[in-house]
Amino acid sequence: MAPLQALRHLPRDARDTLFQLVVIGWTVLPHVSHLPVWCGGLAFLILAWRARLALGNAPLPRRWVVAAVLTLAMSLTLWSEGTLLGRDAGVTMLVVLMALKTLELRARRDAMVVFFLGFFLVLTHFLYSQSLLVAVSMVFSVWGLLTALVLAHMPVGRPPLQRAGAVAAKAALYGAPVMVVLFLLFPRMGPLWGMPQDSAGRTGLSGTLRMGGVAEVANDETVALRVRFQGRVPGQDELYFRGPVLSNFDGREWTRLIPSFPPNLRPRSEIQLIGAPIEYEMTLEPSRLPLLPLLEMTPDRADAAPDIEGWTLTLRPDAQWQVDRPVTERLRVRAKAWPQHRHGPRKDILGLRDFVTLPAGYNPRAMAWAAALRARPEYANANARTLATALLEQIRGGGYTYTLEPGAYGRDAIDEFWFDRKLGFCEHFAASFVVLMRAMDVPARIVTGYQGADAQPVDGYHIVRQSNAHAWVEYWQEGEGWIRSDPTAAVAPERINAGRSLPPARGFVAGALGNVNPALAAEMRQFWEAANNRWNQWVLNYSRGQQFSLLKDLGVQTPGWQDLAYALIGLLCTVSLAGAAWALWDRHRQDPWVRLQRRIAERLGELGVAVQPHDPPRTRAERVRGRLGDRGQALARELDALDQLRYARPARRVPDRGWWRRFSTAAAALDD
Amino acid sequence: MFEPVRRRIRQWWLSRLPLTDSWTLDQRNVYIVPTTGGLVFSLTLLLMLLASINYQLNLGYVLTFLLAGSGLVSMHLTHGNLRGLTLHLRPIPPVFAGDPALLDIVITNPGAERHGVALRFHDREAHGSSFAWCDVPALGQTTARVTIVPPRRGWHGMPTIVAETGFPFGLFRAWTLWRPAAQVLAYPRPEQPAPPLPAAAAVAGEQAAARRTQGSEFEGVRAWRRGDSMRDVLWKKVARSGEMVSRDTAGAGGRELSLEWHEARVPGRGNDTEPRLARLAAWVLAADGQGLAYRLALPGRELPVGHGDAHRRAALEALALHA
Repeated sequence: MAPLQALRHLPRDARDTLFQLVVIGWTVLPHVSHLPVWCGGLAFLILAWRARLALGNAPLPRRWVVAAVLTLAMSLTLWSEGTLLGRDAGVTMLVVLMALKTLELRARRDAMVVFFLGFFLVLTHFLYSQSLLVAVSMVFSVWGLLTALVLAHMPVGRPPLQRAGAVAAKAALYGAPVMVVLFLLFPRMGPLWGMPQDSAGRTGLSGTLRMGGVAEVANDETVALRVRFQGRVPGQDELYFRGPVLSNFDGREWTRLIPSFPPNLRPRSEIQLIGAPIEYEMTLEPSRLPLLPLLEMTPDRADAAPDIEGWTLTLRPDAQWQVDRPVTERLRVRAKAWPQHRHGPRKDILGLRDFVTLPAGYNPRAMAWAAALRARPEYANANARTLATALLEQIRGGGYTYTLEPGAYGRDAIDEFWFDRKLGFCEHFAASFVVLMRAMDVPARIVTGYQGADAQPVDGYHIVRQSNAHAWVEYWQEGEGWIRSDPTAAVAPERINAGRSLPPARGFVAGALGNVNPALAAEMRQFWEAANNRWNQWVLNYSRGQQFSLLKDLGVQTPGWQDLAYALIGLLCTVSLAGAAWALWDRHRQDPWVRLQRRIAERLGELGVAVQPHDPPRTRAERVRGRLGDRGQALARELDALDQLRYARPARRVPDRGWWRRFSTAAAALDD
Repeated sequence: MFEPVRRRIRQWWLSRLPLTDSWTLDQRNVYIVPTTGGLVFSLTLLLMLLASINYQLNLGYVLTFLLAGSGLVSMHLTHGNLRGLTLHLRPIPPVFAGDPALLDIVITNPGAERHGVALRFHDREAHGSSFAWCDVPALGQTTARVTIVPPRRGWHGMPTIVAETGFPFGLFRAWTLWRPAAQVLAYPRPEQPAPPLPAAAAVAGEQAAARRTQGSEFEGVRAWRRGDSMRDVLWKKVARSGEMVSRDTAGAGGRELSLEWHEARVPGRGNDTEPRLARLAAWVLAADGQGLAYRLALPGRELPVGHGDAHRRAALEALALHA
């Protein structure tokens, strides 16, 4: 209680500064999780320092101190980010600048700079997440910043925070219609210039694979895509969303195929569909990769292929769908997939030799092991399928364990995994499988993507998270083409059948709630997911397509860019004209009180009581009494009542309608 | 290069405004333009819009447009913060040239509470940077005070007054220009240090001199009246009784002092008018301070013998307006 009391009695300057610091701290806070530790630490240290100066009414530090800290921050940024450009480095610098600027709050101009930096800082949060939670937290930031801005323009006395907050909220609320109109009608366009490649932190799929790379996303519970099925809902073991196919191995890293043969010798997709299709609609979160992880197998056929306005979609020879530019917005796709299918060349062609190459000098023990297996009499003439079964047997019975935290692997990672540690997750199993198959001269490749979805759909949507990121393999069997095999399923079938990665340790609160009331926890989670889904559909997913359909609903036949502009300009003109009309009307408007006094004076004049325009009602009452005596008593009482209404506390600006009626009645009684 | 043109335009603009002591602000006389801060704000918004487009951030659009909307609304709030107010200048008591005159400006608010209204002079270089901030309560009044220093004796017109505000966000500046009709009278600045009163006046000079040496005679006590000099108040008695009482110097009229234009020549300043007026003003103050009756003789104007506040004011006014 005592600190609160102390806060209430702070001098005004100190209180305003503290309020501003709290707002800045709140705005910086969500960045702490994805910025270097030193940056968050430095920013809060500076804010705390500034708060101490404000509380002690001490002078601000000299310019050179600020310059020194800035130089330090720049070198730290250079050291931790490797650059001063790019998103992360930019945000890091912005946070530090913001904190440092508070040490320079001398003139009003400095205050304005802090506010504008603050608004920009709010924007940078959306680079990392546009979730409902972030949006709500930023609403408070914006409100706080606007309130501080209002406070800076109330120079008299010690205005209460609530008053400034109310003014800020009023401006924002009145501004909301402008926001809605602009949001709906401002023409959406593609990025104006290429963005720096800082996508790695955002996605579960990166287009490359390095031991350990998938472990990070396995813990990431953010949503990668949502899918809704028309008709039959496929089982979890059918939900393979095909991402980048990785065929090139340099000993450390898996990348996409760099073909060494001319196009006519390369394998093509050659898809053959079997059985009934599954029709689905998918909402993809921006992945910043130029590809669509569609359900296997979505063919390039007119009635089944996906189609998105403004995008060029092509099916790669490795049966993966790619788009012409990185996906930076939410996309909605409808397509059909056939879980039963065959693909790839049926006959051995030269281009398949690309899928048996291995880098020399890596994993010697695995090479020897594969050669020994191949040399065993029962496998002397075995086909690819038999060899794959033998490998899966080895995985199942060889004492391998599925874990999300296998630890770091060294140079010969496959050797280490296969013979020594035997701990790993999907990518360890998949990579070892492919290397051993290739060592036995069987074409094989890794397919990355998503596997499975949340068991319970939300609003009919099945949610696929980044934690569903998976790696499986395809080997080539003569006469059949590419055959999918999931070595992870051999050791951890629940990973595939439950459709979920083995859950990582939960947070304390979530864990406690889950233990006490699992049903409630699940329900809350579902509710949250549903709210988030709405948020995504209505706010985040709003793009040019939705704009055009809005215009169509408004009656525009073939909406285009120009129609949006026309609509905006038209609306602007209408509002301006309405504003001008109001101004014209307002010019002739009189203060209701003044108008009332004029009417009273006119009426009294008719009764022969002369009053001055500036006479208050009580003076007029005296005049009435003086002129009319007892006859005017009723009228005078009404005037006294009016005087009370206006000048007593709380003062009323205009009396109620009844007053004029009573006054007129009293006046009419004297008319004769 | 453009300075003369600008001054010309400003002059023309000001001359269109009526001279009035009561100035009600409405659509026609409240002007509004964005401040530097407002321009920087729109630049920030543009940057934010670019970032939103480039990173395809729908929430970025929401934020940018929300701020744009708020900024637009703040324009109306800023204008509304002045619109409807009535400025009224109270009569200004005369001052000595070189002393600050206090301008009491009553601001009447017929509507909701107003914040951060500033009053200052339009031409700060010429009339000083006196500045007053005020809030005006809802349906109420407040008084703002600015000071002006009349440099010379005589009547001075009021310079153009600016009432301005940046509330709530400081993105826009709304202001009005007001030319009050009232004038302030400046008395001549009395000579410093105060010269001695004329030693021997032609009439009753002895008595006057005698009176000065004896000090004021104590002739009685009466209740304090408006216009009594502070020196005549019997402060000791006031402290004891709690009532304002003055020394009754009824006989002062009997002894008279003549303050003559030709006697007020300041050595070394030749026949200059101003030093003479300064000396006469100092004499008037000294005589009044001692409770003497005096007459004032100026070329073409003569004030008969008298004493008291009204007489002093009349004498100083005659000096102020001496052609």
